[in-house]
Amino acid sequence: MSSPTERISSDTGDKRKAVSSWTGLSLVAGRGARRIALALILPLAVIVIWQFAGQGTGNLFGGVLPTPDRVWNAWQIWAFGPTGMGLNPYSGTWLANVLFSAERVGKGFLFAILVGVPVGIAIGWNRIAAGALDPTIQLLRPIPITAWLPFSIAVFGIKDVGAIFLISLGAFFPIVLNTAQGARDVERNLIRASLMMGAGRWTVLRRVVLPASLPSIFTGLRIGLGIGWTAVIVAEMVAVKSGLGYVLWDAYYVGRMDVVIADMVSIGLLGLLSDFVILQIERWVLNWRRLQSYQS
Amino acid sequence: MGTITFNDVSKIYSGQREVRALEDVSLTINEGEFVALLGPSGCGKSTLLNVLAGFEKVSSGKLLFDGTPISKPGPDRGVVFQEAALFPWLTVWQNVIFGPQVQGIARADYESRARQLLDLVGLSSFADALPVQLSGGMRQRVGIARVLVMNPRALLMDEPFGALDAQTRLSMQQLLLDVWQKLNTTVLFVTHDIDEAILLSDRICVMSARPGRIIKTIPIELARPRSIASLTSPEFVAYKAEIMSDIRITDHH
Ligand SMILES: Nc1ncnc2c1ncn2[C@@H]1O[C@H](COP(=O)(O)OP(=O)(O)OP(=O)(O)O)[C@@H](O)[C@H]1O
Ligand SMILES: [Mg+2]
Repeated sequence: MSSPTERISSDTGDKRKAVSSWTGLSLVAGRGARRIALALILPLAVIVIWQFAGQGTGNLFGGVLPTPDRVWNAWQIWAFGPTGMGLNPYSGTWLANVLFSAERVGKGFLFAILVGVPVGIAIGWNRIAAGALDPTIQLLRPIPITAWLPFSIAVFGIKDVGAIFLISLGAFFPIVLNTAQGARDVERNLIRASLMMGAGRWTVLRRVVLPASLPSIFTGLRIGLGIGWTAVIVAEMVAVKSGLGYVLWDAYYVGRMDVVIADMVSIGLLGLLSDFVILQIERWVLNWRRLQSYQS
Repeated sequence: MGTITFNDVSKIYSGQREVRALEDVSLTINEGEFVALLGPSGCGKSTLLNVLAGFEKVSSGKLLFDGTPISKPGPDRGVVFQEAALFPWLTVWQNVIFGPQVQGIARADYESRARQLLDLVGLSSFADALPVQLSGGMRQRVGIARVLVMNPRALLMDEPFGALDAQTRLSMQQLLLDVWQKLNTTVLFVTHDIDEAILLSDRICVMSARPGRIIKTIPIELARPRSIASLTSPEFVAYKAEIMSDIRITDHH
């Protein structure tokens, strides 16, 4: 039974908590706004200087580099212009091309995860698997993704599979290496504890090694996804006829540098966005780890 | 149930430099007995416990648990680790039911027991907390609860309170006394704290280093039930004086 005074004190306690969480919220919002402002200074400065440098002609470097306002206009037509058989073949195709590229990255990345994570766990966990797989992986790893292009075109032709193959391959290496590292580094006593409690080999893998490796796995995923974006652009420039990489090369050939720049910025933003998505998933999955770290 | 027999057990760690961690250790721990293993750092206490847990293989000799040779770790020998070794991604509750769960026991058959044990170690209100959100003492209590829930025939504890501050350590010792006096499982308790060894055990085995062997066995005949209040009794102090002189003698060798 709580006495009235107790109730009052607990009331004020709650109110204080509520107030502090409000100020906390606005603090966070303020900090977020300041961070965004800080991050925008450099790109905005570049854009402004670039714009002023090209003022008058609308070009830099003797007509090669269009100014930001022209890039912006080109992007607007590319994104929102009417599609069809007009003079501008890019008009209204931006979203479609973004989706082509994103879909390839998504498929290739998913495939890389499905192969890379189990193989990585096997390498990190089992000496025989490590001996059998690791040397081959280390041998293939230094071959850059661009060096695989002729092989990919020869085997898969000018088709989606080729692009997806290159993306998977590029993303596979960081995923497999980081996963293996994570599986190797699982604390010995966690394994011992699970064995002591009666866990079999598969249970140990699934319920101890996998979750304990997740922090490194996510490191691998983030690096892998970045490489995936590189790979999709390279592949589309050469091995398929759609997507941001295709438009990039095509626009360059017909001298549409405004579209080229708009395309590059689009790639950058998409990479940023996909990394952000992974980061959010990581935060959610690794909530236990966030509580552990110094920077909360 | 819960009889442990070491018969001339030796353990040699091979590597660049061979280490004779245990040499010809013979020791019988009877059902329901509480034995403390006392000795300086590096003398092989953890090794002795690890071969018994099944984490390491013996190099020679026989090691039996209830008459059967030990081949691998299992829930009949519950191990409590020094740093608790809880799964940091599981909540307190999930950690406690990990054992019965992976053994495929039906939820109905362990749930109420797990709740009781969580209550016994005083952590009912922390069931949904993650290990990082607990203090060292609380983590160790989870470590004890998750082992007891499996109803092991022996408890193997490797300096379970070694990393705790003096006050928490006392309350954990009291808790262990209370729990053990209720359950009466066989316990092998590794420590290098003389007070802790006397307070808790029926028998203290003193180990020496390189090669690791048991050099002396001291029965502790303090009345049970004990509590941390026993720490200041004259009998307790007498035991302590005896053990300290033993350790000094071995130091001269
Ligand atoms: N896995 C291992 N490989 C090689 N040598 C080991 C291994 N584990 C322990 N040793 C060696 O065996 C000896 C006994 O080690 P052990 O860990 O059993 O000592 P301890 O009595 O538990 O010490 P502490 O009180 O410091 O925990 C030490 O010399 C140690 O270096
Ligand atoms: Mg030890």
